[in-house]
Amino acid sequence: MGRRAYLVQADLAVKASVKHMFSEIREKCGRLDFLILNAAKAPFKPLEQLFERELRQLVETNFIGNIFCVQEALPLFGESGGKVVFISSLGSRFYNVSYPLGTMKAAMESAVRDLAESLSSTKISVNGVCGGIVKTDSFKVLRQLWEEVAQIPDELFVEPDEITDAVLFLCSEASRGMRGQTIVVDRGLSNRLHRPIPEMQKNKSVT
Amino acid sequence: MKQTLITEQTVIEEVKKGVAETLNIDKGSIKPEHSLMKDLDAESLDFLDITYRLEQTFGIKMARHFVLEHVEQLFGEGSAINEDGQLTEKAVELLKIRAGGDLPKEIRAGMDMDEVPALVTVQTMARGVMDILDSLPKACTSCSNAAWKAEDGIHITCGSCGAHATFDNGDDLTKAWLTKVQEEKKLF
Repeated sequence: MGRRAYLVQADLAVKASVKHMFSEIREKCGRLDFLILNAAKAPFKPLEQLFERELRQLVETNFIGNIFCVQEALPLFGESGGKVVFISSLGSRFYNVSYPLGTMKAAMESAVRDLAESLSSTKISVNGVCGGIVKTDSFKVLRQLWEEVAQIPDELFVEPDEITDAVLFLCSEASRGMRGQTIVVDRGLSNRLHRPIPEMQKNKSVT
Repeated sequence: MKQTLITEQTVIEEVKKGVAETLNIDKGSIKPEHSLMKDLDAESLDFLDITYRLEQTFGIKMARHFVLEHVEQLFGEGSAINEDGQLTEKAVELLKIRAGGDLPKEIRAGMDMDEVPALVTVQTMARGVMDILDSLPKACTSCSNAAWKAEDGIHITCGSCGAHATFDNGDDLTKAWLTKVQEEKKLF
């Protein structure tokens, strides 16, 4: 693709690890233009069954860790500013079985709005993309927790490229009028309370 | 009941097949003693794919949670994993009972819990499948006849009414085993 790419490993829940990651970025690149907050880690259990260590991991990785990243990124944006895009999911707005990560996605969508306003006097924009059911590797988890996913019409499954296109939009000048917003990219899944199951979809297995 | 229609060797071959398809590697290179993570470079999400394939193949539902998670659900947080995320002495003792006495030397008290999945091998995964298959009821739940068959060596069906066999799910079997061990050994 003609691009240089560097891999730096970090545990978002540990501030020192995040600091190290951004110092590597500073050393290699000198500055930052875009911060895409995509990393997540969470147990798949009902919220009320989470152990203390699991609750702390849920919050420390998926909320506090993202805030650490924004804090460390700010000095790297410099005078030219930059764009922060948080990747959320419909779990922020709707219940999903054994998906406590949704609570952190909701918290981060609120943080997107908060940060956008508190950084409004700078050239740093903060927005989010809320994905529907996207066929990434993580879909394998959904398939095992939520067997009814097989009844969702194929046309409602979002392709990863459709999420990245929305992120690219938010990273471009074309999104300059947007601040603190989270765009839903779900092919309309969340539009309806009820959706008839097409005959051909019944009894199909999801692979 | 301990079933004899599907052999452990058949299960091992299907586990190898599931691993090969998930990881896109040569099935012939996989050995039963291979660790999915350390020897075959599987990641946590690959485990889900492999178990999904095995569930579809055998018509079973494998455990969604490791045995130590069930210990903590049943006997309280901290009983198997301490506040530093490490295995307790009792957790190691329990794993020894589950393994029938012999444990890999890497399993020890103080071991980080995140290192445990790396110890899952093709063989241990096959054992998990066999445990579920051994929950086959004596008689068909649809017609009450005891006429199980597995013509292809993989799918168990009723020879009388054709119904597919149903099994206990992996998590329920784990909980039942833990309850039994606790009654006998009073570990926790």
